[in-house]
Amino acid sequence: MSMRLDHRPGEVIDRQREFTFTWNGEEYPAYGGDTIISALAACGERIFSRSFKYHRPRGLLTASFLDPGCMVQVDDEPNVRGAHRRVEPGMVVSPQGVWPSLEYDVKSANGAFGRFLSAGFYYKTFIKPRRLWPVYRRMLRRFSAGGTVSASPAQDYFDKRYAHPDVLVAGGGPAGMAAAVAAARAGAQVLLVEEEYELGGYLRWGDEAELAALRALREEVASSPGIEVMPNSVVEGRYDDNWVAVMQRDLSHVEERLVKARAKTLVVAPGLIERPYVFEGNDTPGVILSTAARRLINLYAVKPGERAVVFSANESGDAAAEDLARSGVEVARVVDARRGGDIVRVKGGGKGVRAVECSDGAEIECDLLVTAVGWTAPTSLINMAGDRPVYNERAARFFSSHLPDDVLTCGGIAGDGTLEELIEHARATGGEAARRAAKTARRLRGGIPLESEAPPAEISELPLYEHPALFRGKTHGIVDYSEDVTSKDLVTAEKEGYDSIELVKRYTTVTMGPAQGKLESVNAVAIMAETTGRTIEETGTTVWRPPYSPVTLGALAGRIFEPVRYSPMQPWHEIRGAKPLVAGAWIRPDHYGDPASEVLNVRENVGIIDVTPLGKFDLRGPDVPKLLNHLYVNRWDNLEEGRVRYGVMCLEDGVVFDDGVTGRLGPEWYVMTTTSSGAAGVGEWIDNWLQTAHPGWRIHVTPVTTAYASINVAGPKSRELLLRLTEGVDLSPDAFPYMRVREGRVAGVEGCFMWRLGFTGELSYEVHVPAAYGLHVWETLMQRGADLGVGPFGVEAQRILRLEKGHFIVGQDTDGLTGPYDVGLGRMVKLDKDDFTGKPELAWQSEINGRLQLVGLQPHDGSLVPPEASQIVEGESEIVGRITSSRMSPTLGRSICLGFVAEHLTTPGTKVVVQLPGGERVPASVTPHHAHYDPEGTRQRG
Amino acid sequence: MVERAPVARSPIAPAPPTTIEYGWEISARSSDAELKITDCTPLAKVLVLAPMYGELARALGVPFGRAARDTHGTLVVGSGPGEWLLLAAPGTNQAVGKRVEVVQDEGLVSVFDATHGRALIRITGPRTPDLLAKVCAIDFADEVTPDGAAFRSSVAKLVTDVVRDDSGGARSYLLHCERSSGQYLFDALIDAGDEFGIEVDGFVDPGDRGV
Repeated sequence: MSMRLDHRPGEVIDRQREFTFTWNGEEYPAYGGDTIISALAACGERIFSRSFKYHRPRGLLTASFLDPGCMVQVDDEPNVRGAHRRVEPGMVVSPQGVWPSLEYDVKSANGAFGRFLSAGFYYKTFIKPRRLWPVYRRMLRRFSAGGTVSASPAQDYFDKRYAHPDVLVAGGGPAGMAAAVAAARAGAQVLLVEEEYELGGYLRWGDEAELAALRALREEVASSPGIEVMPNSVVEGRYDDNWVAVMQRDLSHVEERLVKARAKTLVVAPGLIERPYVFEGNDTPGVILSTAARRLINLYAVKPGERAVVFSANESGDAAAEDLARSGVEVARVVDARRGGDIVRVKGGGKGVRAVECSDGAEIECDLLVTAVGWTAPTSLINMAGDRPVYNERAARFFSSHLPDDVLTCGGIAGDGTLEELIEHARATGGEAARRAAKTARRLRGGIPLESEAPPAEISELPLYEHPALFRGKTHGIVDYSEDVTSKDLVTAEKEGYDSIELVKRYTTVTMGPAQGKLESVNAVAIMAETTGRTIEETGTTVWRPPYSPVTLGALAGRIFEPVRYSPMQPWHEIRGAKPLVAGAWIRPDHYGDPASEVLNVRENVGIIDVTPLGKFDLRGPDVPKLLNHLYVNRWDNLEEGRVRYGVMCLEDGVVFDDGVTGRLGPEWYVMTTTSSGAAGVGEWIDNWLQTAHPGWRIHVTPVTTAYASINVAGPKSRELLLRLTEGVDLSPDAFPYMRVREGRVAGVEGCFMWRLGFTGELSYEVHVPAAYGLHVWETLMQRGADLGVGPFGVEAQRILRLEKGHFIVGQDTDGLTGPYDVGLGRMVKLDKDDFTGKPELAWQSEINGRLQLVGLQPHDGSLVPPEASQIVEGESEIVGRITSSRMSPTLGRSICLGFVAEHLTTPGTKVVVQLPGGERVPASVTPHHAHYDPEGTRQRG
Repeated sequence: MVERAPVARSPIAPAPPTTIEYGWEISARSSDAELKITDCTPLAKVLVLAPMYGELARALGVPFGRAARDTHGTLVVGSGPGEWLLLAAPGTNQAVGKRVEVVQDEGLVSVFDATHGRALIRITGPRTPDLLAKVCAIDFADEVTPDGAAFRSSVAKLVTDVVRDDSGGARSYLLHCERSSGQYLFDALIDAGDEFGIEVDGFVDPGDRGV
């Protein structure tokens, strides 16, 4: 049965674009511009969902974004506002949470037990026994009316944007448009946000005069430079200093975008929301609001029914009656509330309205009841701005009481009036908003407001029209359509002692559904007032908090920004199939296929590893030794030029913070290296000391981590390889011994420096080259060292090599309690230095006993590698240590470990018991040194 | 001893076709799109640290938060309190550094060649503020950040120095960050600019007209 009307003057559908979509498994026709629900209603469909608790059939109510009965599943997207979302060709739309079908939902049996499902039912019923909670949870989930979330990991594209408008106008109805235009004409940059797809508010479904006014206002907006219009977008929240969150939807390439706007002035112009009436049967399909009827008829050319009763208390109801009559609907009766008329109940069932019973006893057969009982002012944003709205009995709605200077209101939320009066008021408001924004802009730029700045604009007060206070009729009905909360539930809650609206909200869940109180809040307050005998003013409202409407998690997350860092040699690593290792923000090669072979190649030939992520700081100035002495526990004022020294940094509490080597390249020029993960922390640490404790020290510190590509060339043939590429440096052992630094030219690249170190335990050189030439030098090393067996090695091989050599890693072999005395570095701590970081604590540590000590450990079963963090135990369950590092050594052919043990277990040869994660206990012995391989250091000093 | 001449490479993979110019591997692509992005990493970058109000500061003539060209066409950026970044034509690092070093200043002065430590990107076109609004919280309105404004902020969650440096009447910004995140920043800007039709444009030595 087609309910589609012929052409309407204000219709938004495109009759030239006809297509089909699927609803509930069947194909339906639609026009471009139709919403999902308008297209279905045009085909005679009246039921679109089942209610949350009782699974009652639900149809149209508001025909807008807020419509609680029109939540549907679209493809794999749940909870879509079907009365707002435009239908698209091929769209697959389904009802949510029904079984076996929308028409015959077995869960509607809940309705039969409705009297037992009263307020607090869940709290009372499902609290005991506790052991059944999982069962309850599963059962309740089955009864939930929500849709189905896709399990696919594919995500839609969301992003964020910042905006800095002078004036942000929330609401694109006639008042919002007029305010925006006035603000723009006063020189302001304006962001105009509208929830609907088009600007215009109620003018869009109005008569000829209203449509003419709409066209004129739209033309003004379009021709005013400085206005950015965001349709299909919602102002979700207002925070301190007019930080305004806007959810933008009308984008072709982005699913949703969160706009973070810092508005100098906010103009709240959301219009008014039509309020439903509470009576028996008010959620029966076919009971709709007057604005819904007018939207359907005038925007979508859909006839809402065949025979209607209109219950009207205002002009909107009268206009709806006229629209219905003009569109061929038989208006059986207009019940005028202004003359004492009322309706008692709707009779009908699953298929919709059958008859309406009026207060005069008349029962009128019809399939449509249109109600127009009053308006709710959406005060959310002004509430978020600190305002506590107050109830006005004459107008039967809430108004603001006290707004901050940077928030203004216009339109229905500010008062009543003719269209001309409302527009004039809005223009004055927009101009004043621009004036205040300009004043704020001057203040933000440090300017002093001029004496001659424009005086505040005169904004005349809008009149308030008298309106009947209609909330609930003579019978009980649904208050919250989303949560299935009835007026009887509210009365019950009050009888149980929940006599505050905030308590009732939480107890009954009224106003907590997807409509977030915009349809039901005032009715709930009024019913509570009626029940408690207080006035509405005394009862008050709940507090409106962001978001104004439900927001997708994707939109909140936005586009995920995760900065990553690559070394200059990354392209080479990728081509060679290196397994990437995520180390903080760095992407590093973990290995190139076989870390054990990489280890052996370093031991036997020569390997190169990309160590660019090592933190590096260029230190210059006469006071650098003071800084080094302050940061490190060892002494630095005697470091000679050309030398490199290892140092350990501790925090004030004596805990090892970082380690690395620092070389002196010139009289007042040093380069410090840190651990890769510690670079940022050390940088902040240095800045902190220099800026707070020692601002007078003459030092320049520059982070140069990525200014140099760093390559460690390690292995017995490393010198031979570098001899082939290096100019200006004598690489002979006497001229360039262990722990020295030299500058020179490598592979034709000027400005390189290299130092001899031994982290791998082999003869090795750490070469630092200007980063843009890093790939060139790396490729040249590989090319020129082919006959020497050169090969790359990754982080895993490096970790094995250093463990064979017994070097600890900060963060791996230390924790938040480890001091230098605990890892065998006590001899480095120079307590005879002037004050340095951690000195008092370290002085204490030097005198105490009983702390865990880092030792080398050798499992008796050399084929067994105890997992890191395995505990070392004594007796039944006393924990006396732990394994901090463990690997199978390719060089030694057995497992090797570092670990902490209690002081009485540190003697070499002591047998300890390692408890594996599965509970099995295995023996291991403490080794004489941390180093399992070449403890004398012969190879690295070669 | 070494067969191949060293080739410098930007951290940003050059869009094909590529060529070697000024000793750098660069993109030879040319675009006439309204919104363009160019990897300018080959430009010489010299970092100067000196007293904020000393002789050298007076000689450089650019305060913190501003950028301006000197008589040599070098863009002098007041990148921090007592910190300047000088951007000049490729290969002029040493010459630029020497010009600075000759200035006598009583305070401690340090001059670094930061060419290899920074990635430098230029975006040009009328929609650049819209692009940046997607990745940076700063207000890019003329009144707040006019031509010549320089600041350090978070761009796509990365610490980035931004310089408004209009070119030939077109809105243009230079963005530089530490080198290792150059590709990330470039990709983030391309992604943000996709809806505005951003295209990659190859690097061309600005020559006498300055960077």
